[in-house]
Amino acid sequence: MTANNKVFSFLQERFPVEKLFIFELFEHKVVPVHKASWGYYTGGLTFLFFVIQVITGIFLLFYYEPTISDANLSVENLALNINGGFFIHNLHTWSSSLMILCGMIHFLATFAMKAFEKPREFTWITGILLLGVTFTLGFTGYLLPWNQIAVNATKVGLQSVQSVGQLLPGVLAQIPKTIVTTFQGGDEVGQPTLSRFYVLHVVFLPLAVLLIVSVHLLLVQLHGISKGSDEIPKRFEKFFPEFILKDFIAWSIAFLMVFILAVGLPFEAFLPYPLLEPFNALGATPAGIKPEWYFYFVYYPLELLPFPVLVILSLIVMGILIFTPWIFKQTSRKVLTYIALAMGLYLFTVTVFGQQIYSMIKPGGG
Amino acid sequence: MYKKTYLFILSLLVIGQFNLKGYSFPQLEEFVAKHSGKPVNCAMCHANDAGPTGNDLGQLGHMTVAQMAKVNIARLAMQPGQNVDSPILNRFGNHIVETVGMQKLITLIAQPQDLATALGNKSDLDGDGIPDSEEYLDGTDPLNRFNGDPLKLFKINLSRNLIVICIISGALGLLVFGLAQVIQGFKIIEDLEAKEVKDKT
Repeated sequence: MTANNKVFSFLQERFPVEKLFIFELFEHKVVPVHKASWGYYTGGLTFLFFVIQVITGIFLLFYYEPTISDANLSVENLALNINGGFFIHNLHTWSSSLMILCGMIHFLATFAMKAFEKPREFTWITGILLLGVTFTLGFTGYLLPWNQIAVNATKVGLQSVQSVGQLLPGVLAQIPKTIVTTFQGGDEVGQPTLSRFYVLHVVFLPLAVLLIVSVHLLLVQLHGISKGSDEIPKRFEKFFPEFILKDFIAWSIAFLMVFILAVGLPFEAFLPYPLLEPFNALGATPAGIKPEWYFYFVYYPLELLPFPVLVILSLIVMGILIFTPWIFKQTSRKVLTYIALAMGLYLFTVTVFGQQIYSMIKPGGG
Repeated sequence: MYKKTYLFILSLLVIGQFNLKGYSFPQLEEFVAKHSGKPVNCAMCHANDAGPTGNDLGQLGHMTVAQMAKVNIARLAMQPGQNVDSPILNRFGNHIVETVGMQKLITLIAQPQDLATALGNKSDLDGDGIPDSEEYLDGTDPLNRFNGDPLKLFKINLSRNLIVICIISGALGLLVFGLAQVIQGFKIIEDLEAKEVKDKT
């Protein structure tokens, strides 16, 4: 086989475009039924929360003012004086958290089901990219209300990135600072930062999600649903009408849940009120500044481990995530499930009990 | 007792006129922080989150003569029920002085937990459904209806919006039912077409 043929064969195997016909979707697409089948719904749920984000985000744009003098006031005005304003804002906040939660569960489920194995390597990589963009959406959106916790947590996040420069040699040492200055728009978090984060949050990142999600879904369609089990599934159900109906039911239940949360539980009720006050550049930094819960898995190690160790660990983890399809090529699903469970346990423990663990190790800190 | 307290307040007032020293109750703040386990600040009762002392907005050094007069009226509101509108206090701070009176408030410094009882359960300044006295003990903002104990807020808002939730649940149920019927319809048509093709052949 010539080199050209090899490349063509490689691409044809990974992008079987003949499966794009709608007939394929309705007639031949099947979903394996086994004990981990619930994992097939997590991707769709993540997408549902993204759609809710987009719709509520558009409504929020009508009232939000991205200036440091008016951002906080405009959010307050929206919540207090606009009909349904608080509901839309709260729905946006809750669905962002649920989108990240579902994205993380989807990531763990696809890892345990070995859904990354040949020929689905690019589906996995686009998924990892999506997870990264989703976290960045969360980070940029956090700053927009311009309150004490938003600005101070952003400062901490950007300072952490800048600190990486201390570990790099020569010219490379300047790269993190250049990145931070570019996104910050100056030496301090201020109006240019808010403007840049705003544009990233409402234009660039949603477009990036749409683009990557299109490729991700296209690849899912081209390759079909992965078998997800080491054993041969006893039963397959047709994607249309059986699976899609169940998917709708899952979406409806998820929507009802997020609706009840948005109506009943203000997201900011979990934060002490001094952190919700408008950012005061001249005032003291209030106690209890922390990032959003979905960054705890990085935040607490950052507080506890030496910074160079954390940077090296992060780089290793990122490398492993991207090259997962090749690193775990020969690993059985049983072993992958144990690894996924360990990762899930770590994420759960650090997210829920991070503060207690931190207080035990460093009494009086944080 | 009343005479002594009055003289005490008057002396504070006189001193305050000269050096604009703050007259706040940090003991209450310390109690709330300890009782609730949450970080709190002076903004629970004061106009400025750093308290009354200083020259910023809502602090004594920033007051005009007219505003200072209002501060002094509040300081002399010994008995409950007097109309108080001190510019160094926020609505909750003024409400405490109105409800309890300065005389009792001073005695409550030694028993800050009793302020909740003294405030009673009727007042809810932000209208979130949680009485101000409970918000004081919980360390949440009595003037922000989106800030409160999460479980209490959830229960209250659920009961307030029960009809809306029922309507949405019903609508979603009907939507899923409708979609199921449409999908089943497609399936029936598909099966019929397949049967026709089979019959013809």
